[in-house]
Amino acid sequence: MHRSAQRRIIIPFLLPALLLLGVFFLYPLVRTVDISFTEWTRTGSYSYVGVENYTRVVDDPGYLNALKNAFLFTLVGGCMLFPVAIAIAWALNQRVHGERFFRFVVFAPVVLSAAVVALMWKFVYHPTLGLINPALEGLGLGALARTWLGDASTALPAVAFVTVWHGIGIWVVLLSAGFERLPPDVLEAGRIDGAGEWRLFRSVMLPMLRDLFRILVVLWIVQSMQAFAFVFIMTGGGPFGSTDIVGTLMYRVAFERSEFGYAAAMGVVLVVIMLIVAQIVNKVMKRDELQY
Amino acid sequence: MSSSTEVRPAPAPGAAVAEPRRRGRGARRQGSDRAPFRRYHLIIYLLLGAVAFSTAGAFAWVFNVSMKTNTEFIGTRPWSVAEGWRWENYTDAWNSANVGSFFGNSVIVSVTATALGVVLAAFAAYPLARIPFRGSGLVLSVFLLGLMVPWMVTFIPLYVTMQDLGLLDSRLGLALVYATYNLPFNVFVLVGFMRTLPGELEEAAAVDGAGPTRTFLRIILPLMGPGVASVSIISFLQNWNEFFYALVLIHSPERMTLPLGLFQLGQAADYGTNWVTLFAGMMITVVPVLLVFALLQNQVTKGLTAGALKG
Repeated sequence: MHRSAQRRIIIPFLLPALLLLGVFFLYPLVRTVDISFTEWTRTGSYSYVGVENYTRVVDDPGYLNALKNAFLFTLVGGCMLFPVAIAIAWALNQRVHGERFFRFVVFAPVVLSAAVVALMWKFVYHPTLGLINPALEGLGLGALARTWLGDASTALPAVAFVTVWHGIGIWVVLLSAGFERLPPDVLEAGRIDGAGEWRLFRSVMLPMLRDLFRILVVLWIVQSMQAFAFVFIMTGGGPFGSTDIVGTLMYRVAFERSEFGYAAAMGVVLVVIMLIVAQIVNKVMKRDELQY
Repeated sequence: MSSSTEVRPAPAPGAAVAEPRRRGRGARRQGSDRAPFRRYHLIIYLLLGAVAFSTAGAFAWVFNVSMKTNTEFIGTRPWSVAEGWRWENYTDAWNSANVGSFFGNSVIVSVTATALGVVLAAFAAYPLARIPFRGSGLVLSVFLLGLMVPWMVTFIPLYVTMQDLGLLDSRLGLALVYATYNLPFNVFVLVGFMRTLPGELEEAAAVDGAGPTRTFLRIILPLMGPGVASVSIISFLQNWNEFFYALVLIHSPERMTLPLGLFQLGQAADYGTNWVTLFAGMMITVVPVLLVFALLQNQVTKGLTAGALKG
């Protein structure tokens, strides 16, 4: 019977993968909780301090600032991302010429390393060597020119914009699949009733895609709260902590101040907050099911 | 939206109609299936054109700067065309700015990690997909857990664990970490793929006297071509581009991968004056990836979209 012969290979086949997963993922995962209850010294020795790290996190002004910035980043980035992504996804589903080319261009930044994109945009934003300020001056809008990443009021939106530019392709693909799945007979009925494209988009498509939007917004929250690379490379958290988010703060606390326990506690707190926020948004956006 | 795919009334006669909707995109590319031009299409072309222009413009700008000299970069308008083809910027970047060594490290780490992650995932996926045993659901959910836990929770203990194992600041250590983080997605995709294969394959092989290992290697694995190809491409792209774990785990310049090495060059360029080699380095990092994407657009798009949903 081949079944019993098959049973003999189960463990040898699974073991190598489970070994890697255990050593480099599950063990560290369990250890996080342990580490977050300890205090480390620069020499690498540590002692248990109970919940002290957690009580410190709650009224650390640096952490609260990072948390505020992370929320702001999520909000500002979301406002830049969703309208544009929805518009592009809608446009790509209109059977226009060059669809394949446009899909290529919209998705291309996604395949690039965040590090390269961040560096590239750091130069684009450069006040004198970059592209934006000279372009504004060329258009006679020199008054709008500023040191984008060096100004506490523009740095966070500027970084959020680059994050969106890099990742928008993914969201367009997901939204585009949603548009493609809309039942054609409903749209056709709308057209027969004399609805224009804009009316159809606003009154038929958007309500029908509501559920998809809800999922994507929750996903965006979960992802952007964990943002790191763009902020780290483009501003390093500055100027004056105006772009410091939890990821960059944790990195500094862990590797510049060697406070592993405290940084681990920061991570745990952020993940808990993130899950709560995601749950709330999920609940709020879940209205009565639309019947169609 | 007045294309024929959407407007088509009741099933019209003709073979093309019988195609499932998924196939529609292939059919759409033929000119006859294009929507006739309408006025609001102008808005669409304007929107998509602006997006395309900004992306293409950004790449063109990086390429253009990589062809300038440092004095030219500071002295001329940002969009003025470079005076000549300065390919020596690329050789400078490759040799004296160490981009060649970063490139080599990236190749070593990404290839090792991808191969390891895909092979181990294929072996692990086989029993999970096709041999019913107690606890298989549990093992699968342990793998899938890896898709859901945010990196923020694990990077500190991972760093400490790597230190304990003596794998800190080593390419092997980084490759092992990458392979581990590729595993959940690979297992997830390959299990789904293997489940679509007909159940009689193993029985037929057993009747012919093949043992289970042989059956897997000779019959199942060859049928997995497309699935293995797609997880390999996605894993490779992610490993090639990964920045955060490289930053945390690698410290010596001679072991850095491209994203980390470029970041270091970027830091140096802030204080120095050697911008053009940095731009040449960016091109060197970007071009292979864009080539892969251009050749395998659909596969990459689908795979990366699915892969990005983790977390």
